[in-house]
Amino acid sequence: MSTVLPPADPTGAPPALRGETARRFYRTSEFSLAVISVVGFCVLAVATDFNLLSGGTLGAFFRFLAVPIVIGLAQMVVLGVGQMNLSVGALTGYCAMTAASLMVEHQVPAVLAVAVAVGLGAFVGAVNGVLVVVTRINGFIVTLATMTILEGLRYGVAGSGTLQGYSPGLQRLGGASLLGVPVIFLAALGVAGLVAFYFRRTVSGRSLLASGGNPFAARLSGISNDRSLVVAHTLSGLLVGVASVLVVAGSGSVNTSIGDDLLLPSFAAPIIGGVALTGGAVSVVGTVLAAFIIRMVDVTQAQFDIDRRWVDLVVGVVVLGAVLIGRVREAVAARMRGGAS
Amino acid sequence: MTARDVTVPASKPPETPEVDEARTARPGRGLPFWANPRLGLVVVTAALVAIFGSLRPAFFNERLTIVPLLADVSVFLIVGLAQLCVLSLGHMNLAVGRMAAISAFVTGWAYTSLSVPLYVGMVIGLLAGAAVGGLAGLIIARTGVNSFVVTLALDFALLGLVTLLYNSVTGGVSFAVRPDGMDQLRNDTFGDYCAGDWCGPSAIPLVAPLGLIAALVVGYVFRYTRLGRELLMTGSSERAAQYSGIPTGGRVVAAHAMSGTLAALAGFLLAVNNGAFSANIGEGFLLPSFLAPVLGGTLLAGGAVSVLGTILGATLTQVIYKGLNLLGFVLDELKIYLGVVLILALSLDRLRVVLAERRGVRP
Amino acid sequence: MTAELLVAEELTKTFPGVRALDRATLRMRAGSVHALLGENGAGKSTLIKILTGVEKPDSGRLLLDGNEITVASPHAAGAIGIGVVHQERNVIPAFSVGENIVLQSMPARGGIVDRKRIRAEARRCLDLLGLDLDPDRPVASLSVAQTQLVEIAKALYLDTRVLLLDEPTASITGDEAERLFGVIRRLIADGRGVLFVSHKLEEVFALCDTVTVLRDGASVLEAAPLAEHDRGQIVDLMVGRAQATLELPKRTVDQGATPALELVDIATASGHREVSLAVRPGEILGLYGLVGAGRTELARALLGLDRITAGIVRVKGAPARIRSVREALTRYKIGYVTENRKDEGVFGDQPVTRNIGVTIWRRLARLGFVPDKRERDVVAEYVDRLGIRLAGPNQLASQLSGGNQQKVSLAKWLAAHCEILVIDEPTVGIDVRTKAAFHRLIAELAVGGMAILLITSDLPELVMLADRVVVLRDFAVQGELLNDHDYDRMSQAVIRLIHAEQHAEAI
Repeated sequence: MSTVLPPADPTGAPPALRGETARRFYRTSEFSLAVISVVGFCVLAVATDFNLLSGGTLGAFFRFLAVPIVIGLAQMVVLGVGQMNLSVGALTGYCAMTAASLMVEHQVPAVLAVAVAVGLGAFVGAVNGVLVVVTRINGFIVTLATMTILEGLRYGVAGSGTLQGYSPGLQRLGGASLLGVPVIFLAALGVAGLVAFYFRRTVSGRSLLASGGNPFAARLSGISNDRSLVVAHTLSGLLVGVASVLVVAGSGSVNTSIGDDLLLPSFAAPIIGGVALTGGAVSVVGTVLAAFIIRMVDVTQAQFDIDRRWVDLVVGVVVLGAVLIGRVREAVAARMRGGAS
Repeated sequence: MTARDVTVPASKPPETPEVDEARTARPGRGLPFWANPRLGLVVVTAALVAIFGSLRPAFFNERLTIVPLLADVSVFLIVGLAQLCVLSLGHMNLAVGRMAAISAFVTGWAYTSLSVPLYVGMVIGLLAGAAVGGLAGLIIARTGVNSFVVTLALDFALLGLVTLLYNSVTGGVSFAVRPDGMDQLRNDTFGDYCAGDWCGPSAIPLVAPLGLIAALVVGYVFRYTRLGRELLMTGSSERAAQYSGIPTGGRVVAAHAMSGTLAALAGFLLAVNNGAFSANIGEGFLLPSFLAPVLGGTLLAGGAVSVLGTILGATLTQVIYKGLNLLGFVLDELKIYLGVVLILALSLDRLRVVLAERRGVRP
Repeated sequence: MTAELLVAEELTKTFPGVRALDRATLRMRAGSVHALLGENGAGKSTLIKILTGVEKPDSGRLLLDGNEITVASPHAAGAIGIGVVHQERNVIPAFSVGENIVLQSMPARGGIVDRKRIRAEARRCLDLLGLDLDPDRPVASLSVAQTQLVEIAKALYLDTRVLLLDEPTASITGDEAERLFGVIRRLIADGRGVLFVSHKLEEVFALCDTVTVLRDGASVLEAAPLAEHDRGQIVDLMVGRAQATLELPKRTVDQGATPALELVDIATASGHREVSLAVRPGEILGLYGLVGAGRTELARALLGLDRITAGIVRVKGAPARIRSVREALTRYKIGYVTENRKDEGVFGDQPVTRNIGVTIWRRLARLGFVPDKRERDVVAEYVDRLGIRLAGPNQLASQLSGGNQQKVSLAKWLAAHCEILVIDEPTVGIDVRTKAAFHRLIAELAVGGMAILLITSDLPELVMLADRVVVLRDFAVQGELLNDHDYDRMSQAVIRLIHAEQHAEAI
């Protein structure tokens, strides 16, 4: 039995270098996305004879990037606690229709209608969260059910009609640009910044990630996993509400099909952005860059008149590839850590 | 050294009084009669039938309601079975609808270009479904990627593919062909077939046996065959399955191929019921594919399935559809009620599981 | 006389059908390391759960520094000054070392995390342990041993007076365990108390000052100085009667027989090099090594789960290419009783019949159809032979005790008529009595002609059972020994091999 205290341990068994490498490793995902974004953008610009950089085209490019960014963030938030939200699309449509209906059919001022849309989104999100916690049913099924309910409710707002001609003020804001950059895109970036701050610097956000990363350890430390689930779903719904406002402001009209094409992009952005399906980590930068890349693919499709369906195919394949790369990375990291027995 | 050279001790080891008494507790009592999920479904279905029937006597009209209802039950039962096959592994198949669509396309194409008889076309479609499902399974097994992501991505890829294919081959969205026998399969009931003076029940459409056969086959596979058992064990614990010598990769492919085949069968039946092989076959398959098995007690986590439960679940779902339809609800409004039913059913199921756990019995 | 730090007095706790604690008492002094011993089911985990606020006692009281306390929840336990480090690692992988340490009470201002204070607090806790880790490092980049130390730092964050360590050396190497002990001694120097729960008696005797032994929920030895007892006495107290020296059946191994299993200069994708060993029918070859030696990896490579990059595997004298577990089983009759019972050895939510039958369906199936009755009969036969205690054949495997689960895990290979068995750490987490029964079982299997490769890091088990011993370190063979069953001599020889600079000659 040794009676001499061992010397203070310098850096532990694996060399400090491994820690550096691990940190660099994580950044690699966002870094490579940034590289792809920049390179891709340049290539696209060249391929369109620099048309892409002209005022109107560039503006349109960013304008239609706003909603996918916010929707991607809405999905990212629940992915962070290891959940999924299948209702993002239908909820966007429902909130958008409700806001439009309030303005068109009930003469509600735009500001109030916007507040209602956001609040409605948050409310539905909270309902999702509470259902998941109380019934302990898989979030996939719960949001599949609420998605179906919302599709029905969405239809119920105005049937198969179209709502348009609401609040010129809101529409002007939707079409406005600040120094050439569309306002709604700036709004989306602002939202992204807030979300990033939330997850990086607030106790609530860190608690969410703790619950997602290791629910057992979180619980032992006094963090309520149930609360994290509800907060995550509510936040997701809130972001969807914001997205619906962007939709209403950005387009001139809304109908019952709004949101139908948002489900896959809502997953594609965070997944390609490096967010794991198992929860515990989020990446706002990755999600935004991934949305950017997806937008570039869209523009390429329109520019070269490629059939829309090929785009869907490609996006599907890329999502698969991203998850694959994520798994490979996990495996390599595990091997680096050791763990033989 | 012969196979029996190694002998296991024939006598029991010395008495080892059980230290951990808590675990080998009293033998589990069965669930109370009323908590049995299948019975619950039967009761609810019967109650709804009674309610709908009293509100709208047309509910009991054979030609108007019962026959189409049973035809739809057949289709959606098979859709539920398609999902059940991968649920056994704890996986999901989000592409059931598109797999049905692409198989329906292949079938329609076979009728148009190869002029094959009705059932040959069906088999060709089933093979297409098996191939697509098998592909999904292969990707999942080889890459280890979550089945949710793979089938979601596949769903979108196929969505595009199906439309493209229909556009290029038919210039539209459906095949105009009608092979011999299709009209009969679509319209006839057993009442149209008579042996002498005795005619079959006219309430049962000709398509119903296909659903029943599918259910019997799937039930048999999971209950009695090695394949079925190994699927359930893989769903229970994939790692333990690997260490026990189960070729889990192959089983994953098999389950997904089965799913694709059943999706194709459902697509075929739906096309027959509708009268045409079109691009929108499979559009409404996703929710019912989960609703039927989950209502019937199949676990999402894998390791346990119930074919009988799926039959009852599909029946209940279609009864709700038809009943609300008769009462004047439009499809989109129906969606609200379906979603609510799913949540209610799952909450009750959760309650059932909690009760069962407390009694130390397998739910 | 130092004051009593933590006292658990006359704790009683009853669960449906079992009395887990029966007026159990525990007394710890400040500045000492106190051992808590007992077989599985003796009540140790229930006691720990009560101390850490996971369960409430039915009666009895807890005193900290002489004051009566109630521990309402795990979080409250931390606030009162009772910290715990569990057997399994419990960190948030994506967070930094510092954030993990302060997780219970994140320093913040107005809801916003105060990073500077996190670093400072983490630094403080790490210094208490003499650890020089960067608090901003992602905890995922640390080794298992380092992560454990971070968890101790976390337990110290909230002015911990009592630190409970549950099986802390279960998954760390010898050197790392030594470092841990150094840390523990440093902690008690400041007046804290450490409760050390372990099955490894050698460590307990090396590290601890006093001991409490639980048996059947009661304290059969309370706060006794370890210096006054020896190993045998302690084991007797744990087991409850003078433990008769286990009489294992006499065995002779025909050293000239063709080996049932032979590895010649095997190299694998996981890093093994020039590994050679041979197991004859009826022989037990002990493969000894510490955590990280590559033993389980070798077993996996043998089963076709990892790639063999060089060398030859021979089964019954003929070269064998094993590409899958199924091939290992059906063609070469090799079975593998896994190390990790819970995740790899049994199917928890399946009935015992399925658990045991899983390897024989292929044999029983006729045209793909498995006859239920035949399966039941075969399963019943092995349940009987192995003495598995069941409430009924359909009982779920997860409801069995650890020992019975291990028997189920073994039964499926016996049912499949295996002739070669690789058994990986069979008695981890199993109480002394069932352990002895298992050893007898393994010996009897060898008598019956089974060739057994026994992977273990339990020296007493190794010396008792093995005919020959191969010592593995860093994925290579350090040496091979003939076992003379003399514990002192063998353990010394094995330890010498483990720590040797080069490969030693066979003794």
